[in-house]
Amino acid sequence: MIMESGPQETSLKANFFLVWSEVVKNMKFLMAYPVIFIFWTIFPFFWFITFIFQGQAIVGGLQSPSFAKSAGTSEYIPFIIIGAILNGYVLTSLYGVGESIRREAYQGTLDYLLSSPCNKAFILIGKAVSETISSTVYAIIHLFVCVIFFGIELTLGVIMPIMLILILMILGLYGIALMLAGLSLQFKQAHDLAHTLEYVFLVFAPVRYPLEALPFWAQIIGRFLPLTYALIAVRSLMLLKQDFPAIYQQILLLFVIDVLAIFLGFYLFNWMEKRTKKSGAISQY
Amino acid sequence: MVHNKNNDLYSIQTINLTKVFKKRKHKGIFGFLKKKTKEEKSGSSEDVTVALDHVNSEIRSGELFGLLGPNGAGKTTLVKCLSTILIPDEGTAIINGFDIRKQTSFVRASIGLVIGGERTLYWKLTARDNLMYFASLYKMPRREAKQRVEEILALMNLSDRADERLEDYSTGMRQKIAVARALLHNPPILLLDEPTLGLDPTFSRQIRNQVRELCKKEGRTILLATHYMKEADELCDRVAIINDGKIAAIDTPERLKAMVKETELVEVSCYNPPHNTEDYLRPLCPDVEIITLIRGDEAKGAPSRIKIIGGNAEKHVSTIVDALRKKDAQITSVNISMPTLEDVFIKITGAKLAEGGIT
Repeated sequence: MIMESGPQETSLKANFFLVWSEVVKNMKFLMAYPVIFIFWTIFPFFWFITFIFQGQAIVGGLQSPSFAKSAGTSEYIPFIIIGAILNGYVLTSLYGVGESIRREAYQGTLDYLLSSPCNKAFILIGKAVSETISSTVYAIIHLFVCVIFFGIELTLGVIMPIMLILILMILGLYGIALMLAGLSLQFKQAHDLAHTLEYVFLVFAPVRYPLEALPFWAQIIGRFLPLTYALIAVRSLMLLKQDFPAIYQQILLLFVIDVLAIFLGFYLFNWMEKRTKKSGAISQY
Repeated sequence: MVHNKNNDLYSIQTINLTKVFKKRKHKGIFGFLKKKTKEEKSGSSEDVTVALDHVNSEIRSGELFGLLGPNGAGKTTLVKCLSTILIPDEGTAIINGFDIRKQTSFVRASIGLVIGGERTLYWKLTARDNLMYFASLYKMPRREAKQRVEEILALMNLSDRADERLEDYSTGMRQKIAVARALLHNPPILLLDEPTLGLDPTFSRQIRNQVRELCKKEGRTILLATHYMKEADELCDRVAIINDGKIAAIDTPERLKAMVKETELVEVSCYNPPHNTEDYLRPLCPDVEIITLIRGDEAKGAPSRIKIIGGNAEKHVSTIVDALRKKDAQITSVNISMPTLEDVFIKITGAKLAEGGIT
């Protein structure tokens, strides 16, 4: 029997199935390209080891009074490792979610996503969830290796607050990734845009150095990045041994940045989608 | 559903549908430093392509409607506008009673789309995974999707290979999956853009049979955009000839072909025709309407074809043959034959057909 009228009422089950299908699709891609998994597992180690050696070469050891003064801790290695692990979420969200729309266009599947009656937000949520799962798997592997080989201390009490911080950070990052996805509909070079954004995070967020090491104007830019608050909060819990009430301000600010980023992300994506459908750029790659 | 004055039932109606693309000019690496001219500042010099120019058409429910035209005629743009992938600049279309500008979600649920061929699937996933994923985009709960995917795989005779990745499929099998995807949500309307492009004769025939059955047995309305005139001729109830974004004619294939009388049509197949064939032959047969050369891939054994249409073309056969021989053309055949849709296209549009245009 051919359907005669418009779409069926969307059920919660159908939306859940859509998110689930998107996750399954992305996970199967990941399994189909095992080198991606190996790269993201190994890459952060190479990333932070260079900075440990560089730091040692500059200050002549693992302690630096000036670093301790600005960071509040003299433990440079755990400082860098936390930076690398959280920065991993930035990379996977930008290259994963942000670039995935471009990949769909390149594969020729974007037209089908856009001409389907589903709410596109659920496709994007599915992409975000699958990236979160893979990023968390990488983060757990990294943390596990760092606890064993680099003497990172992880107490059970901080695990829950760290999880909350990570979730909030991821939400903000996906807002930014959505903006990137929207821009890539028009400008196409998603990889280059992601690369540029990656360095914006690296320069203005306290990944390799404390925020205080930046000039005042750069610190202001850094305050607009969700990674900044997440790094400050996680380091406060893990390195400065502060408790949750001491970081509630960072959590609150992170939440505000999240709301802004997600709102702007969806707005920009929808606007760019409409714009490119008018200009015809949507089908170009 | 849309009713016209005669109370016919239309599934698709386009009303002054227009789409214009701006051409991007490449000004070189330092182009942004160049001073803008007056025309550029006012926007009057903007280079544009009118892909669809006030297209008006009505497709009846249950009709297999062909859209025939060469590459770049506007077929794909029309399909993309109807499927809401592109937003038209002017005019609109009504699909299954829903406006493509205002009721996009309803339009999308009413259509099944085949566009872009085999590349538009996930090759790293299996056929079943692909179909399950695309079913989820159509608001189907998992259980219903699973059942429907099995039905569709059986319909396509692909159940036994459903768990193989598409990268291991042949082009024809992948195209079958692309057609299967369009049927997942059981839509009343199918928009098919070149569904047999690049397929071997066996798979082309299978897809064509499937298309015929989907329309005649299941009652779906089908818009088939193609540049294969034989496909349009064989399958379609009515055909619209589109050229330069405009509909040049709409009618049944028989009536369209009747526009060219048998005595009006001569086709000379030959190798090595003179490069200015049209200008060379024109003074010899002044009463014919069109002389056009369709170059064949002679290196691969496909001769070029010279079509002489209109007037009393038949009368000039011997003159034309003698004239071509004088220019060292090797004539392989001369046909005074039944007109085809290609001849109709040439007569209506006066267009020259390049190799790979309409075939």
